[in-house]
Parts: sequence; structure tokens; C-alpha cells
Amino acid sequence: MAEEFEPKLIAFTCNWCSYAGADLAGVSRMQYPPNVRVIRLMCSGRVDPIFILEALKRADGVLVTGCHIGDCHYVSGNLHAEVRVKLVKKALEMVGLEPERLKLEWISASEGEKFARVIKEMVDQLKKLGKNPLRDG
Amino acid sequence: MIDKPRIGVYVCHCGKNIAGVVNVEDVAEHVRNMAGVIVAKDYRYVCSDPGQDMIKKDIRDYQLDRIVVVACSPRLHEPTFRRVLEESGLNPYLLEMVNIREQCSWVHMDEPDKATEKAKDLVRMAILRSQLLEPLEIKEVKVLKSVLIVGGGVSGISAALDLAEMGFKVYLVEKNESIGGHMAQLDKTFPSMDCSICILGPKMVEVARHPKIKIISHADIVRVEGYVGNFKVKIRENPRYVISDRCTGCGECQEVCPIEYPNEWDINLGVRKAISVPFPQAVPSVYRINIDYCLQCYKCVEACGAREAIDFGQKPKETELNVGAIIVAIGFEPYEPYQLKEYGYGTYQNVITNIEFERLINAAGPTEGKLIRVSDMKVPHRIGFIQCVGSRDERIGHIYCSRFCCMSAIKQARQIKEKLPEAEVYIFHTEPRTFGKGFEAFFRKTREYGVSVVRGRASKVLEDPETGNLTVFVEDLSLGKPVEVEVDLLILSVGMSPPKDLESLSRTLRIPRDPDGFLLEAHPKLRPVDTHTAGIFLAGACQSPKDITDSISQAKAAAASVAALLSRGKIRVESMIAHVNQDLCIGCGLCQEICPYQAMTIQNKKSKTIPALCGGCGTCASTCPEHAITMKHYTNKQILAEVVTAFQR
Amino acid sequence: MNYALFFGCVIPTREPSYEASLRAVFKELGVDLIDLDKATCCAPIPIESLDFKTSLAIAAYNLSLAEEANINIMTICNGCFQVLSKANKTLKENETLRTDINKILAEVGREYKGTVDVVDYLQVLHNDVTPERIKENISKSLNKLRVAAFYGCHVLRPSSVLNFDNPEHPHILDDLIELTEAKSVQYMHKTKCCGGLLRGISDDLASKLARNKLFNISNSKADCIVTVCPFCFLQLDVGQLDVRRRFNETYNLPVFHYPELLGLAMGIDPEKLGLKTHRISTESVLKKIE
Repeated sequence: MAEEFEPKLIAFTCNWCSYAGADLAGVSRMQYPPNVRVIRLMCSGRVDPIFILEALKRADGVLVTGCHIGDCHYVSGNLHAEVRVKLVKKALEMVGLEPERLKLEWISASEGEKFARVIKEMVDQLKKLGKNPLRDG
Repeated sequence: MIDKPRIGVYVCHCGKNIAGVVNVEDVAEHVRNMAGVIVAKDYRYVCSDPGQDMIKKDIRDYQLDRIVVVACSPRLHEPTFRRVLEESGLNPYLLEMVNIREQCSWVHMDEPDKATEKAKDLVRMAILRSQLLEPLEIKEVKVLKSVLIVGGGVSGISAALDLAEMGFKVYLVEKNESIGGHMAQLDKTFPSMDCSICILGPKMVEVARHPKIKIISHADIVRVEGYVGNFKVKIRENPRYVISDRCTGCGECQEVCPIEYPNEWDINLGVRKAISVPFPQAVPSVYRINIDYCLQCYKCVEACGAREAIDFGQKPKETELNVGAIIVAIGFEPYEPYQLKEYGYGTYQNVITNIEFERLINAAGPTEGKLIRVSDMKVPHRIGFIQCVGSRDERIGHIYCSRFCCMSAIKQARQIKEKLPEAEVYIFHTEPRTFGKGFEAFFRKTREYGVSVVRGRASKVLEDPETGNLTVFVEDLSLGKPVEVEVDLLILSVGMSPPKDLESLSRTLRIPRDPDGFLLEAHPKLRPVDTHTAGIFLAGACQSPKDITDSISQAKAAAASVAALLSRGKIRVESMIAHVNQDLCIGCGLCQEICPYQAMTIQNKKSKTIPALCGGCGTCASTCPEHAITMKHYTNKQILAEVVTAFQR
Repeated sequence: MNYALFFGCVIPTREPSYEASLRAVFKELGVDLIDLDKATCCAPIPIESLDFKTSLAIAAYNLSLAEEANINIMTICNGCFQVLSKANKTLKENETLRTDINKILAEVGREYKGTVDVVDYLQVLHNDVTPERIKENISKSLNKLRVAAFYGCHVLRPSSVLNFDNPEHPHILDDLIELTEAKSVQYMHKTKCCGGLLRGISDDLASKLARNKLFNISNSKADCIVTVCPFCFLQLDVGQLDVRRRFNETYNLPVFHYPELLGLAMGIDPEKLGLKTHRISTESVLKKIE
């Protein structure tokens, strides 16, 4: 039996909302697949496009998460994150990479359930998309 | 950057919380031979005193200069371990924490092997990052010993008095004309049966008289800028068309005014004049002209005479306040049950809410305390209360319990029996919630008065078109069968809703809302009056529904928190700030444009950070086209080091 | 303006005057009604609790007939309205169920596509024909008449699916009655169920509910009752005989189907409306409006 493909997912989280939401998922003991590696930032606005591109050289998918629009702890960081992710997605399309490999989700500190669900759904989707051709060299 | 960092790695068991899933010894073993790792240990409870002492000893014995603690969420213990470093003479920012509990052992409980592999990856990421960490400057700034309290209800009043007594300058901003909030509208309070305005009134007057408190009423918050210790708040005072300093509150203008309009404060059951105060005990007792109803007949101007307090040309006035901290105490709004068509509120005349009842039973209210049906002025003989209207109801999305309404109905039922001993009074509850001090005894005593408690949720109310009486259909859970009860007057015990303007206010203040729409506290158990924004606190019903006792407790807690924050006169500011490389900067000004704190200035065609204003978000660093901005503690190199090793074993 | 008339099974067999009066009135108002050949019972409400898929399949069968004729369905029975509307909405939204039901329909060579809508005749009168047109066709004022309107239950609920009117305080029937200048009176517990569907399961309770309704209407000094559902009609018309037997109370309240009342106001011959088929004589009303 062939070994099932286990996708690798890197997630950028913001300290005030999505990282806290991920913690809440843990406190509530919500289970989700162990395919994700979370990188904690202060704000989703910190996510530079080069982080996403470097991540796509090592993983099958990248998740950028932050506070809901209007609730950013630093007022407008997430607005910039939204624009940047859109631009990177366009760039990915141009090189022929499936844009679904990059996802943007707003997750608040009280949305532990949402965090777990988003990870599950993205891992499932990456399983369907298969290994990232740009990965590992 | 130090060439050869000496790293200590401590992997916590956290009892069975982590060790029950993740193989902590393996994780320590995995990194023991990594470049720069001098010592890698596992330990049962690293956060305990012996655990902390162990780290301190290792720092001394091995000359460690980077510490990696692999345990629970940094949101919990980062401050704990930063203190350990400080006490050992190390810069607290040379700490890195790895979350293998909330984000590993607790969420991958059925996959211990994969969880262990994940933990190894996460620790590796942290070690590579810690090699690049640098000590950060610890700065303190002066703080202003003044507070802004938003909301003049019982919570705002209580916090204002406490803080003023401690010597802080307090600005109490209230959107309505008078402070007092909903407590001023009530007749009696439970369980003491005090006259509400009688116990609140003196406090309101104390607030008005206190030299340290400034009330700014009939005003809105326009903008909040700045940071803890140094907030800049823009307030807009809306025109009353009466000059506050000149109005003596004599009321002669009100007497001659020919126009009456429905008084919102009396839930539109009573009227007020076009120039009036909303209720006699209003504080400040400055009159207000409702320009929509006013005829500008000038009778009030005549009556005012030499005081010349009336000014039809008054415009909104904007002021700026500088304060060190903010307490948000904007309270609640009663739920309006028009949506629940099966109860007929708004269609059947003799269905009212508990707040309308408070005004009817109040001796100073529109009926002077006579309990009558507003539809036909008749005295009711059978009165019913339906509980949980607008609370614990999935259909309208309010699944929370509003906490005060059971006791409120029991209190009101007792009041009815006191005024009309022959009346039949029914309360339709699913279950009575009488949790507080003295509540249960109050409930039992009320039942001795003869109030009937029917256990069941009322499903429908139908009206007799001739008499206006209501029939309540409910399944009596004790009898196990449906019953129909006819009443002359039906009172819906409505719950608390977040105030309508809370949404925009929450954005102005940068406080997120919880799933029920109330303001989100920092931690529901440990920090119920803090928010995630340093320097901004919560008190009262705006955080979640509660009664007067609990509101005052929270107000006192918030006041104490503010005092603790401001009493030293200075506090530490953010160390993780932006730094602009002057050589790389081309002076394009993009960073200045996008910074939400106005923390970037252009000097000599180059950008520079104002350290005290920088919030540490890092948006500028990722915006700069020249990559000239370094975000301390979150540099590109540090973050990329994590990305590179995330899956590379 | 044309619709497929779906009259169900109770009306053609037990209340021919409902169908007759409706056809007469709609002809005068210029609405074309076609019959759906091979239509069956809509799939009455109790079947849903016995076997959900069967009830859906029966309803879908009838809907597919209208789809084939490319015409919307107009119902005149509350029950048919609720059953067909619910089934239509469920099948339109649930792909899995739709596939399952179409497998069953395939066995008789039919397919449900979800291309038609279901409306009740009151909606057609109010929205398509419009109160203005109806008033133009009214030649006889019924202004001496006090009418107790009764909606029944299945045309109002579940309100989220049927979107028919305000489920707790409906007014469409009252409005349509008052076009004839008759007065639609308020009476106690106007929206309470008549108990019709309890017949055969709990006759005691069904009789009690019918009696309560008649009692309340009688107290409001109404001259007659107007219903829009064949079951409510039976409960309150024939039901008066049952109530007389059990409770020894006589009400002599004539019950009209709404098209009958409208037909009288439009000057249509009472013979053509089939009023003689009612159990409770309508003579008192006919005399009053002369």
C-alpha cells in the first residue's frame, strides 16, 4: 500500500487574533492534522511576500491568518496583508502554480473551532492538489 | 550579533499535558547536538520555582546567552521566563518560547509520533531563530495621571469616584444628556429593595461636585490615538443650544415652553418639553433644546432673562483630551422584542417590557407609580411575566443568559403584590436563576406573597380583541400538560443587548467583540476587566450582561487596574520597534503613509521611527520597497530562518 | 396570466362548491386555469412523518407535471400549498435528495427539474389580479355583513419556507374580504388551529377545538365564517353538527369558501357557486345581502 501523501503546511499567524485562536483550539482540545508549522508574528501585516515565496519552496501550502477586518490590533495591518496575498496569488497563477496553495483567513481570538477547521480543510485540499512541484529544489 | 551564541533548551513535560503525547526526551535529544546548543534538558514543570531556578543556575554555570523554553503558549508564560532572564542579568528578549502544548500535544492527541516530529521541527525553528536574536533596549516613558471613562452609568460613576479619590484626574464622557444610565430609570433594586435613584442620585451629585472629575455629557468619542500612558482622544460635544456655564438648572424655561414630545427616557410613556432635562435628578442639570421639536418661539429666552443661557446658534464643539488610560463602561440596551411576533409586542397594547414596567411603577414616572394599563387606564388584576425574552434564544442569535432578568421579574412581582395585594401574579420561567447573595431568600419571600411560578417557556400569546386581555399558552412542566392563562397585563422580561453604537465604538477603541457582540475581555477568567489593548479597560454590562452589584465590582476592579498602571508615573514601552537603515532609505514616505500610529517621520529626506509611538506591528517593514526597515525581534532573517527549517530535518 | 390549478383530493370529492366558485370567479377576473392531467393527491402531511422520501416523491411527481406544461402551480387548499411549496424548496436546495427522488420518478418516466413555483390563490388574487382589478369587478356591496376570517395553519407556517404573510398577525385574507365592503371582525384567538387534522386520531380534542372556535366567533357577532382550507371548512361547517351532538350547542353560522363570498359580491348566481351543497344553510347571509 502506497504511503499516503502528507502535505506540508506553513501558517503565519498574528499574536493577537489567530495565534490566540489557535491556542483556544488547543485549550478546547479540538483535534486537527499535525501537518502545519505555525510561525508567530505580531501582525499579519508583517507578512512580506518573500516569506510566502520562501515558504512555497519548502511546503505544499501556505496559510496567512490574522484578525478580522476592522479588528486588527494595529488598526490596519490586516488590510495590507490582504492586498499582498492577492498580489502573490496572481504571481503564482502566472508561474502556473495552483492559487489554492496560498490561503488567507481571518480568525479571531475566540474562534478556536475555526482555526482547527481551516487547518483540516486546507490539509484535505492540499492532499487533493498533491505535492507542490516547486518544493525541495 | 553575537558570533557564537550559547543556547540553553528546556523541554517541559507539563506533567502529562505535553509528555502524555509528545516524547519530550526525544525532542531534547534531537537538538542536543545542534550548533550553538550548550545544554538541552527536559523537565516536569519548567515554569515552577525549581524549574526557573534550574534555568538561572545553567545561565550562570554555562554562560548561556540564549534560552529556548519548549512548553505551553508564550501568551501564557513569556513574561514569566523573560523575568527569569532579567533576574539572571540577561536581556529579556533573548528568550524564545516554543508552543508544543496548545498547538501540539493538546491538538494531536491521537497521533503521538507525528506530534513528536512536529515538536522537533518547531524546536529547531526556534533554535535557528534564537541564534539571530539580539538584546533590545528597555525604555520607559512618562504616563499621564489622568483617565477617560466612556459611559456615565453606574459602572462609569463608580470607577470615576474611586479614581478621583486616589488623586487621578477623571474625564467622564457620556453620550446622553445626563449620567446615571439605566440604573436611574429603575424603581427599586434587588434584593435590597432600595429606591434606585435614591442610592444613585447622591453618587451622581458627588461626581458633579468632585474637583478631580470633569463630566462631558451629550458627547461622542470621535477618535482615539496614542498608546498606553499617552492617549489622545478627540471628543465631540453635541449642541444643547444652552450654554452649560450659564445654565443654573432653575427650570423656568421648561415651565413656559409650549411644546411636548415623547420622552425616550420614560420609554416614550411620558413626555418632556422641547427645552428640558430628561428627568429631574439629571446630572449635569443643564437644560437642552430638542431642535427638531422647537418652534423657536423664544419664550424660554424671555424666561431665562439676564442669564442669557440660550444660544440657538450653538455648534458641535470638538475637544482633545490627553489621558493615561481609558475605561469603557458603555453598558447595554434593553432588547426590543418586536421580532418575537408570537408574543405580540407592538401589536397587542397590553404587552409591555420590564423596563416600561419600571417607569410605570416608579412614583416619579409617567403614571406617578399607579400600576395601570396604558391602553385603557384600568388597573390590572392578573399580571403575567414571560422570562428569557431575547435571551437563551437560538432563533435570534442571542444564546446567552442576561443574568438580571429572573431577579428583576421576581422583584417586580413582589412590587405588584405590595401595591395590589389581591392581584394574581404569574411568572413563566423555564427555571428561576437566583444565584447571588440574598437572591434565593428574596425569591422564597416573594413566593410567600402569593406569586405563582409556572415552569415552562411561553409559546404563544393571543389577545382578546374586546377586553385587550392576553392569553398565554405554555406547557406547565410540573403538571406535564399545556395550560392557558389569561392575564390583563403581560410583561416581557427582556434581556440585555450590546448597545447599537458598540460596533463603531469598538473599532474606534480597537477592542474586538466576542461572538455575542459584547466587548472582548483579555481573558474571561483571569482578566475580565482588561482588554488586549494596553491601557484600555472594561467595566459593566458592555463586557457581558450583569446586574448592579457585579457592575460596581468590575468598575472597582478597572479603577484599581488603572491606578496600578499609572501610579508609578512611568511605564515601559514597546521594545520591538521598527528601525530604519538610513543608508538604504530612499525617503519615499510609504512607511509614514501606512503607519497607523504616525510613528514614522521624514527628516532630511530619510525616514525615522519615533520609538514611543511605534506599536511594533511590522507593516512598515514589509511595505518598504528597499527593505530598509528592520523590525526588531521580527527581522526578515529571523523569520526566514524559521521558514527554512520548518520541515527540514 | 395563467396557472395550473391544483385542487387536491378533498375539494373535488367533498366540496365541489369550492372548485366551482373558484373557477367562476377566476374566469371573470381573466385568469386562465389549466388542469394537470394525471395529477394525484399532493402527498398529505401525515405521510411525511411516515416516510419522508415517499412524500417528496409524490409531491415531485405532481411538480414535474407542471414543469412539463411549463406553468406555475396555483393551489386552493392550504395543505397542498404547504406540501408542494416545502417539497419544491427542499428539492431545489438539496442536490442529494433531488438525485434520489429523480431515481424514483425515473421509474415512471418522469423527472423533477425545479423550474416552476407554487403559489396559493390568495397570493394570485392579491399580487397578480390586484385589489384594484377585483374591486372593478365587484357589483354588489356586502357592507351589511360581519365576517369572521379564518386562515388555518398550513398556509402560514413554516413562515421561513412559505413566505406567505406575517405568520402571527396575517392580514391578506382580511384585506381581500374587505374589498367586498364586508367587515372582517376581530375575534378571540383568531389564529388558533381548528383541530381539523386531529380527526381520526383524537376526535374528542378535534371537537373541542372546533367548538372553541365557533364559540369565539359567535361571541364576536359575526354573520358568517370565511375559510381558505377544505379541512377548516369541514371542521366548521359539517363540524357544527358534531358540536351540537357533543356539546348541545347550536351555532347556525354559515361557512363560506372565500371565492364564494367574492362570487356573491361579483354578482355571480348563488346556484352557480354551489352554495346549496353546504351543510349549514347559507340562507341567512343571502337574505342579509339582498
